[in-house]
Amino acid sequence: MLTLRNLGKTYANDVRALEGFSLTVAPGEIVAVIGGSGCGKSTLLRLISGLDNASRGSVELNGDVVRQPHPLINLIFQEPRLLPWLTVANNVGFGLAEIEGEDRRQQIELALKKVGLADLAQRWPKELSGGQAQRVAIARALVTQPEVLLLDEPFSALDAFTRADLQDHLLGIWDETRPTLLLVTHDIDEALVLADRVIVMRPWPGRILDEIKVDLPRKRDRTSAAFETVKRQLFKALDTSLQLS
Amino acid sequence: MADLAETGIKTEVKTSRSIAASVFYGATRQATAAIIVPALGLLFWEVSVAAGWFSGRLMPPPSRVLATLWTLLKSGELFNHIGITTARVFFGFVLGTVTATIAGAVTGYFGLARRLIDPSLQALRSIPSIAWVPLFILWFGIFEASKVALIAVGVFFPVYLGVSGAILSVDRKIVEVGRIFRLSGFTLVRRVMMPAVFPAYVIALRSGLGLGWMFVVAAEFMGASEGLGYLLVDGQQLGKPDQIMAAIITFAIIGKVTDSLLMAAAAPFLTWQDSYRREG
Ligand SMILES: Nc1ncnc2c1ncn2[C@@H]1O[C@H](COP(=O)(O)OP(=O)(O)O)[C@@H](O)[C@H]1O
Ligand SMILES: [Mg+2]
Repeated sequence: MLTLRNLGKTYANDVRALEGFSLTVAPGEIVAVIGGSGCGKSTLLRLISGLDNASRGSVELNGDVVRQPHPLINLIFQEPRLLPWLTVANNVGFGLAEIEGEDRRQQIELALKKVGLADLAQRWPKELSGGQAQRVAIARALVTQPEVLLLDEPFSALDAFTRADLQDHLLGIWDETRPTLLLVTHDIDEALVLADRVIVMRPWPGRILDEIKVDLPRKRDRTSAAFETVKRQLFKALDTSLQLS
Repeated sequence: MADLAETGIKTEVKTSRSIAASVFYGATRQATAAIIVPALGLLFWEVSVAAGWFSGRLMPPPSRVLATLWTLLKSGELFNHIGITTARVFFGFVLGTVTATIAGAVTGYFGLARRLIDPSLQALRSIPSIAWVPLFILWFGIFEASKVALIAVGVFFPVYLGVSGAILSVDRKIVEVGRIFRLSGFTLVRRVMMPAVFPAYVIALRSGLGLGWMFVVAAEFMGASEGLGYLLVDGQQLGKPDQIMAAIITFAIIGKVTDSLLMAAAAPFLTWQDSYRREG
């Protein structure tokens, strides 16, 4: 159970990026956070991941307060951020420093299989396409079996075709072990295809404006009437958010 | 989809290879063009001395320089001088590199150390290094120690600047990946910072080595009875311009050879680099 209590962040330049953000995410739930640029979405994930410290409020995972990077929480960035001096396999194994030998090799292979890149294990990052690199980043995060996976606009740099493909892939992976997913996006369809709930944010300072439940069975048909109804609802909320910014 | 991506990659590799090829041929053609003027100049000089238009006493023709080089080589004298000079560069380079790496790492990594030490080092850097010569002779005597010290000073600054600058400019985004996997302190340095600065480090070592070769000449001018710098001084004092030129050519060759050795030693660790083309 991931609990955010009254989370707030004021940066050194006095920008109030986040204010009074409270949210509880159940194990295995998929929550999307949506909002315009500058709403504090990245700030939110940086606080949960422990990369930055909150100015106010707290992040708790199963009752433990999170103040620094936590073994059960991992973050996938907008860019793959692979380490260019490591092969694909060693990038995936980056988080397995304590595990060696055959065990390590198997875990890496398993994670690469999950993202469908087992053949590319010995490649260098420079030899990958954008979509492949982001899949390696996902495998790198999965290999440590996080309970909470944070994703900061993970597919926004990819073309529409690759993006849809990776969204399906992510759902498949999620279905295997059911980690908690907290996904930041600015793509309405992406939020509605993936999430159980969509949190709409508003800026200055960043906080929750609205919350929309997506009670549709997966895998979702983007053209169904029910999908369209929720989409309209979300559009309206976003419109309000944009007018406030 | 996977197939599509596969072929995409293959074509990419192919194009980058043909780019490399055209760059190579272009470079060869450029090199050919660049060599025409000096070659003609040398030829002209050779012919004019042979024809008796000039005496060639102060500007010996290429054939005479090569003959001197050959004599020095055959007698084994040249190897002796090369050995002595290379040893001085080697010790000065090692001393300068080790101290510069430590100083650069400390000031690059710790903000407090940077504020305390870096300004002083920058001030020392602005002193023309040859100005140290009299002091080094007083401190270390006229033999090897003062020479090695001068070379070490020359090597120190480019390596120091390269290391501390490279550490300061390590991409925050990549450091954050390390932090997400809960690396900190020395593990973060070893697994993220060190590999990240390695390419810049190699470049710093190359410029350090280049300056090492420059400073060995100054060091040997301080008074030496052996070494390539001694050949230069000796050639001047006894009026043997062919010997001076032979020494200069030798400097050029071993400077290039040691630089290539350094690059070759680093190359296996840099195959991952995503650069437009590898420097030759
Ligand atoms: N490190 C920082 N220092 C100062 N201000 C920042 C920093 N990071 C983000 N901000 C500011 O905080 C606000 C929210 O930023 P961010 O969380 O990146 O928004 P989003 O991801 O929704 O686009 C913006 O106004 C941004 O300029
Ligand atoms: Mg952002």
